[in-house]
Amino acid sequence: MESVILAASECDVEAEIICAPSDVLELFEFTKPLFSIGGFDFTRTVFLIFLAMFIVLAILYYGLRKGEKVPSKFGAAVESLVTFVRDDIAIGIIGPEGIKYAPYLLTVFTFVIVGNLFEVTPLINFPITSRMAIPAFIAVVTWVIFVIVGFKKNGLHYLTDLVWPKSVPLALRWLVGIIEFVSTFVLRPITLAVRLFANLVAGHLMLSLLLASGYIFVTAIPDVGLKGFVGVAWFVFGLGIYLFEIVVAVLQAYIITLLSAVYVQTSVHPEH
Amino acid sequence: MFASALPVFLAASEGAEESSGIDLLLPATSELVAGILAFVIIYIMAWKWVFPQITKTLENRQAAIKADYEAAEAAKVEAESLKNDYQAQLAQARDEASRIVEEARQAGESVRADVVARAETEATAIKERATADMSGERDRVAAGLKREVADLSLDVAEKVLGTSLDRGAQQALVNQYIDELGGLGS
Repeated sequence: MESVILAASECDVEAEIICAPSDVLELFEFTKPLFSIGGFDFTRTVFLIFLAMFIVLAILYYGLRKGEKVPSKFGAAVESLVTFVRDDIAIGIIGPEGIKYAPYLLTVFTFVIVGNLFEVTPLINFPITSRMAIPAFIAVVTWVIFVIVGFKKNGLHYLTDLVWPKSVPLALRWLVGIIEFVSTFVLRPITLAVRLFANLVAGHLMLSLLLASGYIFVTAIPDVGLKGFVGVAWFVFGLGIYLFEIVVAVLQAYIITLLSAVYVQTSVHPEH
Repeated sequence: MFASALPVFLAASEGAEESSGIDLLLPATSELVAGILAFVIIYIMAWKWVFPQITKTLENRQAAIKADYEAAEAAKVEAESLKNDYQAQLAQARDEASRIVEEARQAGESVRADVVARAETEATAIKERATADMSGERDRVAAGLKREVADLSLDVAEKVLGTSLDRGAQQALVNQYIDELGGLGS
């Protein structure tokens, strides 16, 4: 978005070259790295990833370090966040043994929620989860966890019950088996990653285009009268979407955490 | 005006789709490395510190609240027993007070009776003394009167007879007569 706005000041309204980014990738920070060390590119996104990490670590640390009998408001909020993930997501969905997965689920939830909220954070305005790295990594880890847990809890039955479900009539069993196999081992990780990634891509695109085009139309007022009005309308609409994106950011973080827990639960108790 | 701007945007996004595609979907290596590193660091903190810390905090808080609650309970029991004590003492004090008042009333009563009795006794004594005084006085006056009457009678008799009489004998005679009169009168 930054690049669009920068570009907007250089655009030529008369020539109808209205500051479109040369490439949509520009919107997603596919720009040249700030610097590289041994082939490792330090892009803005890489910095934002570490910034998100530091924010999460700082929130957890400052919220919980004292462990007071009567917590501060901030402490109580962090405590309720942690106990929410532990009691309502980990234990609530997976069952009593879900407490083992609470650290993983807390990491997913906190890291993703901060990464998502970068979308609507002034001066950052870029969700790190709209790049595939983090959603893909989380999806792969969740996949590995639920596959390992499935085999550990149920042995080979985990796989055989899935591809040869006894409760289904024989004629349909092979078909259901294929569908189950594909949906569990192939589609689950892909949908998990893409759901988060695509939501944030769409949100970021909408905000970028609406707010940037609002700006561009308003700056074109002296030349062409009505564009100012259109620009203000775009901008107001963009601000509405801004509020909506806050909800999306929180919701998507919750959903990826919840689904990770649900996938693990289906491996712990496959009969459900 | 607005329509003239639109094709430019559309053209831009069409162009972008052609050029980007798969790049948007594939994770960049440096981001993947950074993301994994950041994730693992948060995970280690969550695993090694956050959950032990919050468990400890909640357990301490539970213990503290339980202790506070028990202390409050004990204080309540103590307060209850103190209240009972005070009430008992208060009742006792009230009994005591009414007893004292009753005693005082009785004492007052007896003092009053005493005073009345003494006053009555005194009054009676005064009355008796007065009666005695009066009767003594009367006797004295009667005796004086009797002597006076006798003398007067003798004087009258002497004047009538023109001669002096034997005063001693006559006196005895008059007195005897008066006494007889008195004896008749009474």
